[in-house]
Amino acid sequence: MAEQALEGSQPVDLTKHPSGIVPTLQNIVSTVSLDCKLELKSIALQARNAEYNPKRFAAVIMRIREPKTTALIFASGKMVCTGAKSEQQSKLAARKYARIIQKLGFPAKFKDFKIQNIVGSCDVKFPIRLEGLAYSHGAFSSYEPELFPGLIYRMKQPKIVLLIFVSGKIVLTGAKVRDETYTAFENIYPVLTEFRKNQQ
Amino acid sequence: MSDAFCSDCKRQTEVVFDHSAGDTVCSECGLVLESHSIDETSEWRTFANESGDNDPVRVGGPTNPLLTDGGLSTVIAKPSGGSSEFLSLGLVATIKDRANEIYKRVEDQKSSRGRNQDALLAACLYIACRQEDKPRTVKEICSVANGATKKEIGRAKEYIVKQLGLEQGQSVEMGTIHAGDFMRRFCSNLGMTNQAVKAAQEAVQKSEEFDIRRSPISIAAAVIYIITQLSDDKKPLKDISVATGVAEGTIRNSYKDLYPHVSKIIPSWYAKEDDLKNLCSP
Repeated sequence: MAEQALEGSQPVDLTKHPSGIVPTLQNIVSTVSLDCKLELKSIALQARNAEYNPKRFAAVIMRIREPKTTALIFASGKMVCTGAKSEQQSKLAARKYARIIQKLGFPAKFKDFKIQNIVGSCDVKFPIRLEGLAYSHGAFSSYEPELFPGLIYRMKQPKIVLLIFVSGKIVLTGAKVRDETYTAFENIYPVLTEFRKNQQ
Repeated sequence: MSDAFCSDCKRQTEVVFDHSAGDTVCSECGLVLESHSIDETSEWRTFANESGDNDPVRVGGPTNPLLTDGGLSTVIAKPSGGSSEFLSLGLVATIKDRANEIYKRVEDQKSSRGRNQDALLAACLYIACRQEDKPRTVKEICSVANGATKKEIGRAKEYIVKQLGLEQGQSVEMGTIHAGDFMRRFCSNLGMTNQAVKAAQEAVQKSEEFDIRRSPISIAAAVIYIITQLSDDKKPLKDISVATGVAEGTIRNSYKDLYPHVSKIIPSWYAKEDDLKNLCSP
């Protein structure tokens, strides 16, 4: 697991991560403007790694293997890059896509690159009493076991949505910078320990 | 005929009451003493041998605070909306009123435009049942929701809770569902004995102490399966599936999850240790 490898490779900075757990980044969504109009049909015909179904979706879907990402390329020149595991990889991937577009003959630039969403996950390694948490933090929580098995926690500061599962696995989404994910986890960790489910 | 003072005759004279005109007339000189009196007697008479199907009352129903003008205006066409839903589920009047109230509050915010109306109505019903402490499963609500899906109702419910929360300035408190909430109704649908129902209720209470990662409704179904297997009146998985709305495979898997804890979950007054051994291994 990447988390264990990370812990093995270097000690966790306890001043920044008092819980001792560092969330692993799972997905980065970024946007960039290529600053020129694109002919999607010709891109789809020339590029081998592109798929284009204008009836279903108005963008070319392009994939590269390294970093393993998917891009949505629109006729307006806007591009969305998803699937990267770090901010640097997301930018690198976006640059690669821009380069591919340039090679196809379009005067593509690389403007206004921005990270739009960061998804992180981690495991606290103990079961959690979701109902008690939902009751105590009613204003932030939504727990409907019929509809979704996890508790949806909408943290206000930082503005992060957490999915908390009985198993102790946590998903954090909605961050625009990495530190927001880390801060959100450090905020929720004392609450999770408070609602730890003690085994019978 | 009665006596009254006539100003023309200047003495007490006999008067006649003209019902059709509402006039009181002096019988001697014909002077109208009073006019346009309101007749407060009954307009019609009722007889013992008449049927009660025709009611000529001229007044309408009481004011309805859920309507914008209190129900004082005349409705040309009555909307068929929500009443059929309540009848199908056999819900009590308090839940019906609560659902109507919730719907009105959401409607008044004028922000439900473009939303799935069927899902919205179903979600109001779902929330009302939860708030009145008689929750129904989303699947049960789906069965009367005119084709709205479970996901649509879930989304509509989130939307309503958010809207009402904004209105009240605080979160709408509904709590969380428990397996015990549905137990009596599920057992009733299956025709279980009172003793079995009581045992099942105790069992689901105890099951919450263990780390069983299943939907409360699945746990309820699995507990019912165990209790009925231990009783003389055994229920097939298919019947339990129909009564609870949980798929047979899910009940089987939930039973597998519950099986390790069965000796601690099932009340000792209901089944002895030897009886538990008779349960088939999952």
